Parts: sequence; structure tokens; C-alpha cells
Amino acid sequence: MAGSSNLKRDYPDILAGAVMIGLGALGLWAGRDLRFGTGAAMGPGFLPDVLCGMLIAIGGYVLLKAFAKPSEAIGESNIKPLVILVVAIAGFAFLAEGFGFVVSTIWLLVIGSLADQDSRWKEIAISALLLTVFGAFVFIYGLGVQMPMLPF
Amino acid sequence: MAFFDVLMLGFSEALTPTNLLFCFIGALLGTLIGVLPGIGPTATVAILLPVTFFLPPLGALIMLAGIFYGAQYGGSTTAILVNLPGEASAVVTAIDGYQMARKGRAGAALAIAALGSFFAGTVATIGLAIAGPTLSSFALSFGPAEYVSLCIFGLLAATILAHGSVVKAIGMVCLGLVLGMVGIDVNSGSTRLTFGSTELYDGIDFVVIAVGLFGVAEIASNLEFKEARGVLQSTIGRLWPTRQEFKESWAAVLRGTAVGTILGVLPGGGATLSAFSAYSVEKKLSKTPEKFGHGAIAGVAGPEAANNAGAQSSFIPLLTLGIPSNSIMAMMLGAMTIHGITPGPSVIQNQPELFWGLVASMWLGNAMLLVINLPLIGIWVRLLKVPYRLLFPAILLFCCIGVYSVNNRGFDVALVILFGVLGYILRKAKCEAGPLLLGFVLGPLLETNLRRALLLSQGDPLVFVERPISAALLLVTAGMMLTLILPTIRRGRKEAFEASED
Repeated sequence: MAGSSNLKRDYPDILAGAVMIGLGALGLWAGRDLRFGTGAAMGPGFLPDVLCGMLIAIGGYVLLKAFAKPSEAIGESNIKPLVILVVAIAGFAFLAEGFGFVVSTIWLLVIGSLADQDSRWKEIAISALLLTVFGAFVFIYGLGVQMPMLPF
Repeated sequence: MAFFDVLMLGFSEALTPTNLLFCFIGALLGTLIGVLPGIGPTATVAILLPVTFFLPPLGALIMLAGIFYGAQYGGSTTAILVNLPGEASAVVTAIDGYQMARKGRAGAALAIAALGSFFAGTVATIGLAIAGPTLSSFALSFGPAEYVSLCIFGLLAATILAHGSVVKAIGMVCLGLVLGMVGIDVNSGSTRLTFGSTELYDGIDFVVIAVGLFGVAEIASNLEFKEARGVLQSTIGRLWPTRQEFKESWAAVLRGTAVGTILGVLPGGGATLSAFSAYSVEKKLSKTPEKFGHGAIAGVAGPEAANNAGAQSSFIPLLTLGIPSNSIMAMMLGAMTIHGITPGPSVIQNQPELFWGLVASMWLGNAMLLVINLPLIGIWVRLLKVPYRLLFPAILLFCCIGVYSVNNRGFDVALVILFGVLGYILRKAKCEAGPLLLGFVLGPLLETNLRRALLLSQGDPLVFVERPISAALLLVTAGMMLTLILPTIRRGRKEAFEASED
């Protein structure tokens, strides 16, 4: 990747700068209607605007410097586990209130377990079962978390 | 005599059966996660944070504190036995500890590490007991201007002492501060940065950010590649160190304790920085520096004492000033807020049982850890064989249920995804998430006091330099930032951290 080329590019820094600029701009946009106010009587938008401005400035500096630093690659990435985890957690978030603890937890554990490339179906089944029972006792009965147990 | 009285109060609180139990659970959990690679104290505290909502306040704090210092003990076990540091702070322990294990002296290394940690923990706890009341009575005179400067000092110092690029860390602080402003502004009542979502009116919950950045993101990066597990080199050998080994290590323990206690107080300090500094101190002072890296017992004793002392003394700024110095302390602050306690100088005065109970429990916890670690070492070694694929589903479940239980809604769990992905990207971008968390917890304090200070001074920013304490804090901050520009110090800092990344 970057290591073989002569171009000076620090890819982690480019990513960092881009993230900071992007989030700073998003913050400025989200707070566009807030009153800025003055130093003595700060409006609700004063600090968010100032801080987002700083975030963009710092992001810009990091981004520009990245083109003058020795090359550095982002490093090997494998986003498959992250994607699987996102799907598993999103399902849990969606199912928890309506379908209850058992359904959402089994979804979370079975799908989530697939994030490991070494996962085996037999192990997943056993651990999902054990953890669901354990969780039901500890969280729902023991700690009294307000979540229905079953969909009906 | 007053000191004795409050200490008695502390022990009477810490010695109640339930609090002893929480202390034991914390110490045990800490050791467990210290031993298991792939899950650290930061993630564990983040995950257990919602659970503490169901516990009494003191019990919750005792347990979370136990996890933190317990992990310092456990982390060294794997570092010595299999050359796999369970925690970042145990990385240096692995250098000489593992070499000792290869020579059949693992037992002695483990014993010195545990005894040194216990000694250091005791000293640092006494330090906390002495410094606490002094510092907090001093901080009671702080006005809004002082608090603004203190926040700025704390946040910027934390970025300098943290790993990696200072500029990026300051960016993370800004991002954290912005995230802390989401929700309804208390002064004007207008909603800020909520993107029209009514669920965000109360702001983003601290637990959501902590679990996303440290829990989910950590699982995702742990699962990226097949895990590498170390192999147990040899038998542990005789636990009791020889007379010669004692002689070589007692001074190192004393120095490590001093280094750790002092560095732990600094913002951004804590266990890891203390351990690295202690190692370089030992190597510099040693008459036989060539032995380091080949099983020098001083190279185990110093850092181990230092990381434990640092872990304890990093509670000082949180409990006296209400300023967390690292991400675990930020989470302790979150736990206190969940229970309606505002950390700061008034805690010692208004809720002495909380402060002294925690201090007393720390010493008890350290004593328990000695027992948990030395005679039971065999159990922990066997636990090393539990594969991560069996662990992470349980961690995932704790994350999700925990976050759900804060407000009993799926929305927060969905929000965790956002921060999990952000945390993953930040790891790829080599940005530390710690400063973000510090910014997030300090944001409201900073904003309230900044507004108040400028309102009182009618918009005159000179108020921050006219008040002596505030001016001193800002001067120190400016001094620190200046030293970063000086090339020699920059190089030194870089070397220190590069050594730590191996």
C-alpha cells in the first residue's frame, strides 16, 4: 500500500483529519439556528460553534500535516466483525422493547457470535442458551430491568 | 486525632458485609480481566457502569475501584508467565518478568510483583487519605474562573501525557466537549445539536458513549484477526524470592511507589505512564543496566509497584477536585453522577463516609488481592486457556442490556452502534478515545463555569488571569504546551512512547 510509494502520506492522520472536519461541520450545521450571543451573555450556540470551529481547524491542520509526514499505512483492516456486530446490536435495539428479552438476546448472541471466524454452531447454540437463561435471571428477575420477557 | 476518627469511619463503612463483598467482587473481576487478554479495565468498567445503578453508591464505587486496581495485579500475571501483558500497564513487566520465567524464576517474579504492588497500594492509599482533605479544603475556595482554568489544565495536560499525537488528542477533547453539549441547554432552554430527535433532549448518556467507544469498538478490533495466545513457558517454581532477589528489589519497589504515586495524580497519568517511567528510572539507576531485558528483578519490582501506586493515586484529583485524570476516572465520575453525587471538594465534607469508605476499601482490596493472586495463581493460569470466542458474546450481552437498562429504551442501544463505529474509525486513525471521554464529562462543568465567570466579569476575559490560582493554572498549562514545541522534549516524549508501543 502506502509503504511502497514515494509519496509522503500518513493515512491514519488523513482519516483523523477528515473525521474531525466532517464532525465539526456536522456540528456547525446542526447548531446553525442557535443564538451565538456575546461573551458576557453567551447564547446557546456560543460554545458549540467555537468548539466545532476548533475541531475543523485542528482537523485541517492534521490533514495538511499528513501530506508532509513519512508514509504510514492504516494497517490491515477487516471490517467484517464490525459489520456483523452492528447488525446484531441493531437487531437487539429494535427487538428489545416489542419482542422482549428472550427473542432479542438470542438474536444478539447468535448473530454476534458469527463475528468470530472460528465460531462453531454447536458452541454458539450452547453459549446462547446458557447466557439467555443467565441473563434472564440476573437482569430481568434479579436487577429488575424493565424489559418484557417474551413477545406476548 | 481527627484523622484517626475519619479513618475509623472509613473502615466501619468498608467492613460492612455488603461492602466487603463488593470489594471482593471488584478485586476478583479486576484480576480476571487483568489475566484475560482482549478485555481491559476501561472496557469492563464501561460495561458494568449501568449495573452499578442498581447498587448502593458506596458499594458501586468500591466495586469499580476494585476492578481498576485489581487489573493491575492480574495484568502482571500473564505478562510474566506467557509474555502476554493483560493490560497496557503490564507491558514493561513482560520484558524482564518473562525472562525470569524462562529461567525458572516465575514464582519469584510473581511474588515480588504482588508484594511490591501491595506495598505501593498501601502507600498510595495513605497518600490519598492525607492529600484528600488538604486539597479539597483548598479547592473549596475555587470560584467559576478557577474551575474553568482547572478544566483547561486538566484536559490539556491529559492530552500531553496521553499516548500519541497531542494535536489529535486536543481535537478529541473538542469533539467530546461538543458531544457533551447535545440536548437542552439549561440556561436558555433551547435544544442543541439534537437533529430534531426528542430522545436526545436529555443529552447523550455517558454510558452510551463509554460502552460504544470502549466496549463495542474493542470487541470489533479484537475480532479482526485470529487471536494469538502465548504458551506457558515453564513451571512457576518456588514462590518465595531468595534473599538476593529481595535485596535487589526492595529499593526498586520504593522508587516505583514514589514515581507511581506522583505520576498518578497528574492528568493523563495513571498506571501505564507510571510503569513506563519507573522502568526507565530503574534502568538508569542500576549498576548493571545490561541485565535489564534479561531477567532483572528490579525491572519487575519497580514498574509493578509504580502501576499500582499510580492506579490508586489517580483517584486523588477526581475525589478532591472533581476532575478525572484518565478515562477510568471519567467513568468513576459517571458512576457518581448516576447516583446523584457531584464529585468535587464538597464530597469529603458532606459525604465523608463515601470518601473514607472508598479509601479504606482500597487498602482492604489490596490485601485481598494479595491472597487472590499468590496462593490461587494456578486457577488464573488455567483461565488463560478460555478462548475469546466464548467470552465476547457475554461481553456483548452485558453491553446491550446495560445500556438498555439506563433509560429502558432501545434507542440508546441503537446509539451505541454509532459510537462503536466511531470508536473503530478512531482506532484506525490512531486517535485516542480517552481525551474524548474526558471532554465529554467535563463539558458541562466547563460551560457552566465559563458562562458564570464571564457573566460576573461582564464579558472581560482578563478575569482568568487576574485571579491568582486561575492564573497559575493557566501559566502551568501554557508552560506545558510550550515545552512541547521545544525539540529535545518532543524527541524524549516520542522515544518514551515508542518504547512503550513494542
